[in-house]
Amino acid sequence: MQRTKLSIENVRKDFAILQRKVHDNKPLVYLDNASTTQKPKQVIDALINYYNNYNANIHRTVYSIGEEATEAYEKTRDKVAKFLNIPMREEIIFVRGTTEGINLVAYAWGRKHIKEGDIIVTTEYEHHSNIVPWQLLVKEKGAKLEYIGVDDNGELILEHLDTYLATGKVKLVTFSLMSNVLGTITDAEKIISKCKEKGVKTLVDAAQAVPHLSVDVEKLGCDFFAFSGHKMLGPTGIGVLWVRRDVLETMDPFHGGGDMIREVHKYEATWNDLPYKFEAGTPNIADVIGFGAAIDYLSELGMDNVRKHEMELTKYTLEKMSQIKGITIYGTRDISKRGGVISFNFHDVHPHDVATIVDGEGIAIRSGHHCAQVLMERLDVAATNRVSFYIYNTKEDVDKLVQSLSKVSELYKL
Amino acid sequence: MSESLYTEIIIDEGKNPQNHGTIENPDISHHDSNPTCGDQITLQMSIKDELIADVKWHRHTEEGKTAEDRNKNCTICMACTSVLTQMIKGKDLDYARNLKKEELLSELGLEYLLKQSPIRIKCALLSLKVLKFGLYSYLAKKLKDSSSLDNLKEEAAHLY
Repeated sequence: MQRTKLSIENVRKDFAILQRKVHDNKPLVYLDNASTTQKPKQVIDALINYYNNYNANIHRTVYSIGEEATEAYEKTRDKVAKFLNIPMREEIIFVRGTTEGINLVAYAWGRKHIKEGDIIVTTEYEHHSNIVPWQLLVKEKGAKLEYIGVDDNGELILEHLDTYLATGKVKLVTFSLMSNVLGTITDAEKIISKCKEKGVKTLVDAAQAVPHLSVDVEKLGCDFFAFSGHKMLGPTGIGVLWVRRDVLETMDPFHGGGDMIREVHKYEATWNDLPYKFEAGTPNIADVIGFGAAIDYLSELGMDNVRKHEMELTKYTLEKMSQIKGITIYGTRDISKRGGVISFNFHDVHPHDVATIVDGEGIAIRSGHHCAQVLMERLDVAATNRVSFYIYNTKEDVDKLVQSLSKVSELYKL
Repeated sequence: MSESLYTEIIIDEGKNPQNHGTIENPDISHHDSNPTCGDQITLQMSIKDELIADVKWHRHTEEGKTAEDRNKNCTICMACTSVLTQMIKGKDLDYARNLKKEELLSELGLEYLLKQSPIRIKCALLSLKVLKFGLYSYLAKKLKDSSSLDNLKEEAAHLY
């Protein structure tokens, strides 16, 4: 049952960590949610319950707790399908996270289908996880990697895509649905429809999008879709790769081992059905079950409510920050085009120094290149500070951050 | 941590680091960076009669482009680089070779980073790491058998 509005007060009660103090009794203000989110009691309880009451291997056990574990594990697959409107559960592969999902595609699809002279297109605002696997692949194959540029507003320059598509050599276009640095929400439908016209496959890195936006995978129409559980209240070490069935059927296995086979003989083997062909070895059972609890939690809150809450916070923060002297904010100011991720620099103080000083006030923000060095080069900076919100953040958190920046001014005599 | 970390001396050294610049035809030039934060240092020295006659440092990108105006190194990194270059300028190579990380850190009251901050210690010790590797390359070139320098290389590789 979806709620009509978020009760932040109630939400916060589910997160024990928000009660803790750091550095001489300062309450923790956690503003690094694009990195990883905190976990509610419901998720932690699901993990404890599994280990205390029905810890067993799955799919090959015929006793009662094995059946229970298998059922709980597979139930998460159904929850993912429902949460993202994925019609076929066998298209959902559990992986360690977005990084492994993308590497799986590069290995199991890319090595088979990418040939010499082919072009793979990515964008300048990608995370390293959506750049490096493709660099490795194109080097191996003698193919080429091209970039869709980012304009001064932090949005993709889609004319670049047209130019690449016109060569007729593009085999894959891969992009993040939301930038982990600028928060820009990509016009995915436009990119995907351009690609479909030319029969070009598309991969969506949804690590930043699925936790914060309502996403409909079927409507999106891409071929590959990857995201992580730990950025959406779930445990670390669990993520999802979705691949359209007809594409998945052309792919060779990623890892060989137990559970991914049908029959193994001395010199050959045949593969299990989808999705198990791609889930070799004992999977991350406990964390898949915990991830299911995270999806339940978000479903109950309602993703539209999550988005609305974050838009309000983003608007408030942008307004507050614009009033601060010496601040540079990156990306668009149009909150309908961006998520709750704000990168900024403060005077010429290095982000690591800013982050350490505000940490002294109990405030956790990210500083550095955010695994997006290609974008840092485009922005002509070595690093930025980044704040990113989630369901438990409040305007008070933002006020405390703004307040703590005056500490930086004080120390640096700005 | 910020109260103790961002002392006046660190902010001052960080804002106005000494020995910044380049040396033409240096005897030693070595570059390294910290992947997590983007701090980069090229340390250059001219050596005369076993003495470090001059020392300068600057930032550049991996491709060798200067990037001084692009972004600075963080304050902790710059303060330590500034102090380190002041410590070794005019001293003999043995002094630089035997300089301990604790000695550098104590100049700025940063010894506690060794235990308390596995992340910021990298900022503080980058320049020393560059110095040790630079010395190693320089000394190894002069020797037929560089095994006597293994300790120096080991120390540089495991400084943090």
